[in-house]
Amino acid sequence: MSSLLEGKKVSKHFGGLPAVDGVDFHIAPGEICGFIGPNGAGKTTLINLITGVFPVTGGEIWFRGQNITNLPSHVIGKMGLARTYQVAKPFSGMTVRENVLIGALHGKSGRGKTMGEASRKAEEIMELLKLMPKRNIDMAETTIPDRKKVELAKALAMDPELLLLDEVMGGLNSTEVEGMMEIIQTLRKMRRITVLVIEHVMKAIMGISDRVVVLHHGRKICEGTPGQITCDEKVIKAYLGERYAKAKAQEGNV
Amino acid sequence: MQKRKKMGIALVLAVLVLIFAPFFSGGYWTKVLTGVFMFGITAEALNIIAGYTGYAAFGNVGFFGLGAYVVGVLMTKVNFPFLPAMLIGGVIAALLAALYGLPILRLKGHYFAIATLGISEFTREIIYNWPSLTGGGNGITMPIIQRSPEWINFYFYYLNLIVLGVCTTCVWLISRSRFGYTLRAIRGNEDAAMTMGINTRNYKVLAWAISAFFTALAGGIYAYWFTYIEPGAVFDLFISVKMWVMLLLGGGMTVLGPLVGAFLFEILSEIIWGEFLFIHAAVLGVVIILIVLFMPQGFMKLIRQRIGLATFLANIRENRVT
Repeated sequence: MSSLLEGKKVSKHFGGLPAVDGVDFHIAPGEICGFIGPNGAGKTTLINLITGVFPVTGGEIWFRGQNITNLPSHVIGKMGLARTYQVAKPFSGMTVRENVLIGALHGKSGRGKTMGEASRKAEEIMELLKLMPKRNIDMAETTIPDRKKVELAKALAMDPELLLLDEVMGGLNSTEVEGMMEIIQTLRKMRRITVLVIEHVMKAIMGISDRVVVLHHGRKICEGTPGQITCDEKVIKAYLGERYAKAKAQEGNV
Repeated sequence: MQKRKKMGIALVLAVLVLIFAPFFSGGYWTKVLTGVFMFGITAEALNIIAGYTGYAAFGNVGFFGLGAYVVGVLMTKVNFPFLPAMLIGGVIAALLAALYGLPILRLKGHYFAIATLGISEFTREIIYNWPSLTGGGNGITMPIIQRSPEWINFYFYYLNLIVLGVCTTCVWLISRSRFGYTLRAIRGNEDAAMTMGINTRNYKVLAWAISAFFTALAGGIYAYWFTYIEPGAVFDLFISVKMWVMLLLGGGMTVLGPLVGAFLFEILSEIIWGEFLFIHAAVLGVVIILIVLFMPQGFMKLIRQRIGLATFLANIRENRVT
């Protein structure tokens, strides 16, 4: 099977504590794959391992048939892997437009672009995310939802093949969540971007994912379609809770 | 657009005034302005690494001293002409900055600042302890220029003005380029910059090398202009303090800020020197404290907002250590 991204027995220990413990995963081209799990399950750590922010303790990570385990994060960024941070990391002291422009100047294809071309690319992305009215605002004066959007815009401007989204919907209201879901689906359809989403907003992750991986205490406890996941005993116990399962079941009955 | 036009006209006028100033200003003010330009070069050079990249290179005086000594040694030991010697000093400083930068640009904040100080002191010690080449503690007396004092005044005035012009143009070009935006991204959030595919190390090293190059040119000019150098004078930490005060006064991350800062600082210290001969350092210190309190972001930011108690309190709130 040809995976765009594949992890083999990926582990990360902090001191004696296994944050990610022998996780196998694969993401097929064009797929939207959700990663869920309770706080501390190792979701964000996994993204940090994939993007080279931390070195792995064990295992291998492959991207497009290349072993990218422990490569420096800037090399991975250039290969077409873009991420957002759970707590947004804006370039402070720069405007929204300049933040997005940095993505367009670097990432996978930014190096070949002139300033003008990168500028147009940034505008195109801001148009898509409806950031144009705020383009000249300094990052210090933006709201949390805007920061999340800028975070996504920066990653998109990098022209990635695989997008790793770490809770881009956290802190958004339901209208904004729907807007974000729509954007992610558009991205897949229009630009053939593969997406790995970490999210706590169940409605969102179940709504957009083709496949969901459930992590708990650093281990993969379940994997399947959103429908399969919500019925799995282990998942209900570890994460979703009885109430969610009952509500789902009732919805099914109506 | 209108505003930009006005700025442009003001800039052209300022440059014209500076070009013709020595014909009217008399020897004393010509010399003061020459000093403004020379330190303006160091402040503008510091702007690249400290302003745009956000790395507190407190030891840039090391490159100033190095530039001075390269000129001193080349001119006295091998009869090298001045201008090429000055450029060689710049190149050597840039190469050394790159070499030192590879390990120490991994440090951040005050750790980096202290490492740069160490490097400056290290360079000074080598020069001090190599008397056969550098004259050690005795320093180097430069060859005398066989010209009239007026000619010498004019020469250094225009030389500094030209180097300052080149340095400022260089910063202006950087500020609009991919390189400049990337430096600002590194300042804004280095981790995020790296995950976006930026090899931050290479950018930082290049930024510091350019900064060192121009700082060393200023040092080289100092050597020839002051005709005598010794380690204590050209590696004086006060030179670093001066660059920083000028940068902060004018405002980092702006092209013209360091020049405005250099101008304000030198003029201010000339006036204070004249008025308070005995306690001028104390008065200057108080003025610097007031300036940092009221406009920590520099003059260029200040002209866009109003001065008042509110600004003052907001500045303190924003910049205090909690």
